[in-house]
Amino acid sequence: MVDATIQLVGRNRRQGVLERVVATVTVVLIVVFSISIDGFATLGNLRVILSNAAAIAVLSCGMAVVVITRGLDLSLIAQMIAGALVFSLLVAGGSPATVAILIAIATMLLIGLLNAWLIAYVEIPAMLATLASAMLIAGLFRFAVLQGGFLLLLPKTDPTVAFFAGDVVRGVPVSVALMAATLVATWLLLNVTARGRVIYAMGDNFQSARLTGLPVRTTTIIVYVFAALTALLAGLITSSASGAVDFRTVTNGTLLFDVILVVVLGGIPLRGGRGGVRNIIVGLALIAVLRNGMTLLNFTTQTQDMLRGLVLILAIVTDNYLNPRDTETDTVGDL
Amino acid sequence: MTDRIQTKLRTAMAAVLIGACAALSMNAPAHADSNIAGKKVIFVPIAMGISLTEGWARRMKQHADMYGYTFEVRDAAFNSGAMTELLAKAISEKPDVLVVHNPTVQLLARQIKQAESEGIKVLQINLQSNQPSTAFVGANWDRIGREIAEDIVKECGAGSGKSGKVAIIPGQLTAADSVIMNDAAFKVFKAHPEIQVVSNQASDWEPEKARQITATVLQQNPDLCAIFGHWDVHTMGAGNAVKDAGKAESVLVYSTGGGDSVACKAVEDGIQDRIWSYDADGQGRDAGTMIDLLLQGAKAADGSMMIAESPLKIIKAGPDYDASLCWKM
Repeated sequence: MVDATIQLVGRNRRQGVLERVVATVTVVLIVVFSISIDGFATLGNLRVILSNAAAIAVLSCGMAVVVITRGLDLSLIAQMIAGALVFSLLVAGGSPATVAILIAIATMLLIGLLNAWLIAYVEIPAMLATLASAMLIAGLFRFAVLQGGFLLLLPKTDPTVAFFAGDVVRGVPVSVALMAATLVATWLLLNVTARGRVIYAMGDNFQSARLTGLPVRTTTIIVYVFAALTALLAGLITSSASGAVDFRTVTNGTLLFDVILVVVLGGIPLRGGRGGVRNIIVGLALIAVLRNGMTLLNFTTQTQDMLRGLVLILAIVTDNYLNPRDTETDTVGDL
Repeated sequence: MTDRIQTKLRTAMAAVLIGACAALSMNAPAHADSNIAGKKVIFVPIAMGISLTEGWARRMKQHADMYGYTFEVRDAAFNSGAMTELLAKAISEKPDVLVVHNPTVQLLARQIKQAESEGIKVLQINLQSNQPSTAFVGANWDRIGREIAEDIVKECGAGSGKSGKVAIIPGQLTAADSVIMNDAAFKVFKAHPEIQVVSNQASDWEPEKARQITATVLQQNPDLCAIFGHWDVHTMGAGNAVKDAGKAESVLVYSTGGGDSVACKAVEDGIQDRIWSYDADGQGRDAGTMIDLLLQGAKAADGSMMIAESPLKIIKAGPDYDASLCWKM
């Protein structure tokens, strides 16, 4: 009995290690970059890091909640662009901003429901279901809505676009404020609501959760709809800042990779059941600092991709070593 | 005596025949074989759905309809792997002319050589590969790179009172336009050591990446003088970053592109300052004409690549601004 308790405590202590390793690496990187790059350790650069990381932060919140339930949402980026596209086309067509936002939210609700239905009711594994819906959404919106185009350029003169690209108070961009709001919302969802408990239970042991009568299907719906809404927010932030809704963000594939990287690096295992907002922040810090440093050091995009891939491999290997699969956590057919 | 009459008759008959032939051939209008209806042309662009390729395809299709030959488009949708497959399939269909848009200088070189060796005439459009082919229609990237670099030197170099710092934003470092423009620009900058290139990061032709790169570079170099974006579409992101940082007055944003109405709007809105337009609409017409001539059998006498260089239009903000320099889809 005592042995079992000690074993449990031991396992808990092992859980936070990846997070701590990543946090240490981030601090080391910050120190190295501050010394070797002029202008890295300035308030202005921090502002740039935060505003460049805002979209990926919002997406990571959505992805993290999904991953904790032992799911995976590969259609996040497609949803992001689709949502931004709906909003932009409506605003460009003359609809008032509130109507456009409501319709965009309704579209995202439908997409989230589609994903949730495929996963909870039709019982297709999350990775396959969202992979299929990603292609469906990207194709549908590009061809039916944008009529085959790839790019929709947005005028900064439009008030809603200017709002998303502007500042809330001097020095604090709206994108950063929205990022903070999403992190708070995620924290509330996971730690304060009863659904949060169900989310953790589903990731920890789905069959037990279902058998003990927890509302797993409705929670799946909530989780995927939440992810869809974060995708919409990220889409609005990105398109307003860059002035374009760009479908190549979907096909180029690196943004989805970055989001999964943030989640995994922060210490949220793809097996689910563990993790929280602190993990998202840790993972985000490493990726944002790494990205900024590599840009300032003038690394090519190919070198940056290579380094990020290397970091992901190291993270997964470390995670596997620190959180080894045992009879409790290993089930057939996960992911 | 009969012999002499016969000979004279024969000579007379021959003379009449020759005369008649000469008369007939003089009256008959001289024309090349312009019966090219029914021939096959396949266009493999990097992607459709952008104004550049849509503009080209529209004009080339007009020429095809005029002469009665077929014009098909195989869309690779920005996917390099798909592009090599589509090109292989197009070559296997043995068209008369293949119009190719190269994403990098190396990717399709081998296939272009294969097509030429099989007797298919290859027209490379706007972005050339390392492999020469029958013809090329497009911008002279060396000239654009050099002209923009010289303009930057004038605006930011010695005697201008500015810092001389320049950020270059290519699409992809291995794409033909970026390779040639960077070569030309760096050659100019070498002769002017006060110009310092602080960044040369590729943006994968994405406005968002260009925006993030520019925001970071501006933070690092607040006295940045000019930005040279290699495509007007992704430079929109850079221009927006400059505007958001409140530096639209102090940073000059240069780019080059097809020059459609969106480009003029960007200049009007102060997002970009000077755009070297190679007029995609005009390029489409040049390509259409070149295809017509290729189908009629045109080729260079020494077998070298025929080149139709696109004339440039410079869209400048300020008193020289002229909206008619842009075309509308």
